[in-house]
Amino acid sequence: MLDPYHDWNISYKPVFLAFIFALILTIAAYFIVVEHIFTSLSNIYIILGLGVVSALIQLIFFLHLGIEPKPRWNLMIFLFMVLVVFVVIGGSLWIMSNLDYNLMLNMEK
Amino acid sequence: MKDPTSHESYPDPHHDTYSNTVFGFWVYLLTDFMLFGALFATYAVLKNNTFGGPPAKDLFHLPFVFIETLILLLCSFFSGLGGASAHRKKKNRTIILFGLTFLAGVVFMVMEFHDFNRLIDSGNSWQRSGFLSAYFTLVGTHSLHVILGLLWIIVILLPVFWSGLTPVNIKRLSCLRIFWQFLNVVWVFIFSIVYLMGVN
Repeated sequence: MLDPYHDWNISYKPVFLAFIFALILTIAAYFIVVEHIFTSLSNIYIILGLGVVSALIQLIFFLHLGIEPKPRWNLMIFLFMVLVVFVVIGGSLWIMSNLDYNLMLNMEK
Repeated sequence: MKDPTSHESYPDPHHDTYSNTVFGFWVYLLTDFMLFGALFATYAVLKNNTFGGPPAKDLFHLPFVFIETLILLLCSFFSGLGGASAHRKKKNRTIILFGLTFLAGVVFMVMEFHDFNRLIDSGNSWQRSGFLSAYFTLVGTHSLHVILGLLWIIVILLPVFWSGLTPVNIKRLSCLRIFWQFLNVVWVFIFSIVYLMGVN
């Protein structure tokens, strides 16, 4: 009866793992920005990358995402949420930057 | 009410309601993620609309926010350990760990209000510009969640004091743990997108 999901519920190990990894990633992102290690543009991609990795590690090791037994409803609705958020954020940025661009052209005429 | 003798293997007789409740709570959290997604979209659109006011670069104190981030990570860590202790039926350890979560959460909130006060006192409240409106809405919504999480810890620890780690209480503590860890995942994006990219 002890499926992996329950093993993870009583185990301290994933909690420590997630904490250490999240700590390292947070400190790395902070120093990359403070010390201006890369150019401003590549910094943005690196920060976003580190943030996504940190979030994924926390979702897996803290929140046990994808560890559950077979019909993985938790994972499925999570992926649906990612899709919705992607549409909302991506769509807003797309539309608004387009609008911004078109208005700028009008002003320059 | 107590069942001190139930030290048999983990899956309790309430296994079904346990996973249903945690699943339902997870669905709620995902809708909360969508709420934050909408607020992030608003922030990303309004980020450069400072209306002549100071841009993000001049407003944020990165070292201060960095400490806040570490403290919120500690909340997530303590509540994770607390949740595991609850599943192991270690009552005192569970109470201590969720107490530590509470303390770290209070420190985080005090720092957060200090930061908001600093901005408002220097004339940069949410009325200053579109950028600041979006900033206060996004970070303020997160703070509101932290405050509710703090109240929730108190409300849940009291029954744990009274009746111990019953299956119902373990279920509640699991939801509480998930909530605090969800708050930290949201904060990772606030730290990266609002603060680091703002100062970068």
